[in-house]
Amino acid sequence: MTTLEVHDLTRTFGDRRAVDAVSFQAPGGMLTGFVGSNGAGKTTTMRMMMGVLSITSGEVRFGGAPVTRADRRTFGYMPEERGLYPKQPAIDQLVYLARLRGIPAAAARTEAMEHLDRLGLAERAKDHVEKLSLGNQQRVQITAALMGRPRALILDEPFSGLDPAAVDGMVDLLREHTARGVPVLFSSHQLDLVERLCERLVILRTGEVVADGTPAELQEAGTVRHRLVLDSDAGWVRGVPGVHAVDVDGPTALVELADDATTQRLLATALERGQVRELSPVRPSLAQIYREVTA
Amino acid sequence: MTTVRQNSSNAPAQEPPDDGSRGAWLLVAQREIVTRVMNKAFVIGLLVSLAVIALLAAFFTWQSTRVDTYTVAVAGSDATAVASATAAAELADAEGGSTELELLEVADDDAARAALSAGDADVWLHPGGDGWVLAGEGQPDSTVSRLVGTAVEQEVLAANAEAAGTTPAELSEGAALTTEALDPDAMGEDTLFFASFALSFLFFAGAIGSGMMIASSVVEEKQSRLVEIIATAVPLRQLLAGKIVGSSVIAAGQNLLFAAVGLAAVAVSPIAIALPALSTSLIWFVVFFTVGFLALAALYAVAGALASRSEDLQYTSTPMTMLVMGVYFLTFTASGSFLTVLSYVPVANVVAMPARVLSGDTSWWEPVVSLLILAAFAVLALLVSERAFRGALMQTGGRISWKQALRAEA
Repeated sequence: MTTLEVHDLTRTFGDRRAVDAVSFQAPGGMLTGFVGSNGAGKTTTMRMMMGVLSITSGEVRFGGAPVTRADRRTFGYMPEERGLYPKQPAIDQLVYLARLRGIPAAAARTEAMEHLDRLGLAERAKDHVEKLSLGNQQRVQITAALMGRPRALILDEPFSGLDPAAVDGMVDLLREHTARGVPVLFSSHQLDLVERLCERLVILRTGEVVADGTPAELQEAGTVRHRLVLDSDAGWVRGVPGVHAVDVDGPTALVELADDATTQRLLATALERGQVRELSPVRPSLAQIYREVTA
Repeated sequence: MTTVRQNSSNAPAQEPPDDGSRGAWLLVAQREIVTRVMNKAFVIGLLVSLAVIALLAAFFTWQSTRVDTYTVAVAGSDATAVASATAAAELADAEGGSTELELLEVADDDAARAALSAGDADVWLHPGGDGWVLAGEGQPDSTVSRLVGTAVEQEVLAANAEAAGTTPAELSEGAALTTEALDPDAMGEDTLFFASFALSFLFFAGAIGSGMMIASSVVEEKQSRLVEIIATAVPLRQLLAGKIVGSSVIAAGQNLLFAAVGLAAVAVSPIAIALPALSTSLIWFVVFFTVGFLALAALYAVAGALASRSEDLQYTSTPMTMLVMGVYFLTFTASGSFLTVLSYVPVANVVAMPARVLSGDTSWWEPVVSLLILAAFAVLALLVSERAFRGALMQTGGRISWKQALRAEA
C-alpha cells in the first residue's frame, strides 16, 4: 500500500492563486474522489502531481518520500480534454505510449491486446482511432493509463461522457488496481457517482481543500439536521430560540438545532402542544455537504 | 567545505538520472517517420514531384536531341543557287546542330511557289534585286536563314574574288574569330540560373513541407493532451529531439531523392558535361540543407508549441514561413557581391553557397566557413527553441507569444 499525498501544494498564475496550500492523501488501495466546481483547481492540482505543471510551492509525496520523475513514469495518467492520434490505429498508439514509459514492445503489444479484447475492441485494434465512437475512444484512453501495472493512477474526469454501463465497466477495471494496493485519484463532477464509488473524498473550493475524509466522516462533520413530525401544524417552531427551521411542511419540520439544550426545549414545547410522532437526526447527503462546503 | 547542490524542486526534472528514457528520442523519431511515410498525401506529393522532375528532364533531352529538317527549293538551272544551298546543307552538317537542310531542285519560279504552298519545301532561295532572297510561306526559320545566308555570302565572295583576281582566303586574312573557354568547367549562364532556381525551390519546398509537418505534429499532441502523457514518461527535450531528427530525416531524404533523380536526368541529357560541377554543388546543398533544417525544424516545433489548436498554426508559423520565402526569393534573384554576402548569412547560405560553388568562383575554404556559421546558428536556434518549446508546450488556452514562452517557468 503506497500513499500518494500532497502537502501545502500551491500554484500561482501571476497574482492569482489557482491552488492554495492544498494538502490531502490518496491512500493505496482506495478510490479517492476529487470534487469541486469548475475552476476550483482540480486539474491544476493533478497536473502538478504529474509534474506536467511546475509547482510554486509545496510538495507531492509518494510512499512517504518526495515523488521523483522515475516514480511518475510508472503512474497512469489521464489528462482532461484528452484525445489520441486520430489517424493512427489504436493498438499502435497504445504500444507507442507504453514503450515511451519503458515497457518492451512485445510485452506492450500483448497487454494492449488483452485490454482491447476485454473491452470488446479486439477486432477494431487496427482501425484508426478517429473511426471509433467517442465511448470507445475513451476506453482506449483509459487503457493507455492502465498499461504496465501503474503504481498510482491520476485520472482527470475519467467518466465524463460515458453511459452508466460503461462507467460500471471502467470502475471494475479501476477496482482491479485498488485491489493490488494502488492509490487511485479521480476527479468528477458527478456527485452521485463519487458517493457511490469512493472510499475517500476531497472537496476543493477556489483552490482550497474544504472537506477531506471518508463519506461517513464527512457526513458526521456536516451539519446534522433533525426531522420533527407532529400531529398538527408545525409552523410555531420558527419562533423557538436556537432553532433554525430549514423547511416546514404542515406537521413536518426540518430544523437545525444550536445545541442539546435546544433539542430538549423543542421537545418539551412540542409535547405541551400535543403529540410528537418523530424527532430524529437526518444525515446529510454528500450533495448537501458539497453544497454547504462550496457555498 | 560543503557543496550546495541547488535543485529547485518546482522545476519538473529535466535532467533526470538515466531511467531508461534516454533513448526515447529514437522512438519519437521512428514514429514521426513512419507516420509520415504512411501518409497518403505525403506519398502522392512525393511521387508527383519525382514525376515532374523526370518529365522535365525527358522534355529537355527530347528538345535538345530533336533534329528539324528543312527543305530548300532552288531552280535547278541556277548553278549559284544550287551551289549555295548545297554549301548551306554542308555547313549545317558541320555544325552538328539540330537543323538539317535538304535540297529540292525545281523547274522554275512557279514550281518553287507551288512547292512552298504545298509544303514540299520550307524555303525558296532565288536571286532578286541586287542580291538574293530567301522566301518562306511565313518568315523563314532564323537558323536556316543564318546557314543559307553564310553559304550565299561565301559563294558570292568567291565569285567576286575571282573576278578581282584574288582568293577569298586572301581577302579574309586576319579576320578569323575563334572562341575559347578559359575555364572549361564554368557554367553557361542559363544552366547556372536554372540550377540556382532549382536549389532555391528544393530548399523552399523541403523547408516549408517538413517544417509544417513538425509544427502540426507538435500541435496535434498538444491539442489532444497526449503531450502531457508523454511528458510524464520522457523529458520534453527527448520529445523535441525525436521530432527534429524524424522530420530532418524525411526532409533530407526527400531532397536526396530529388537530387538523385535530377542528376540522373542530367547524366542522360546533352548538358551531361555539367555533371561533376552539379554533383559537387548538390552534395554541398544536401549538407547545408541538413544542418540548416535542424534550425528550421526547431523553430517550427516552437511554432507548433505556441499554438493551442491546429487553426493557430497559420499564425504562429508566419515568421518561419516569411524567413523561408525570403531566402527563396533573395537567393534565386541575387547575383554578384550580394550573392557573396548571402552565401555567409545563415539559412540563406543553404542555397547561396552551393549556387556559388556551382558557378566555380569559390575557394575551397569558403563553403567550409559558411557551413560552420550555419552550424553555430543551428546550435543557437536549438537552444533557444528548446526553452521556448518547454515553456509553451504545457500552456493551454489560446496562442502564446515567443516572449511568454521563453519566460515561462515550465
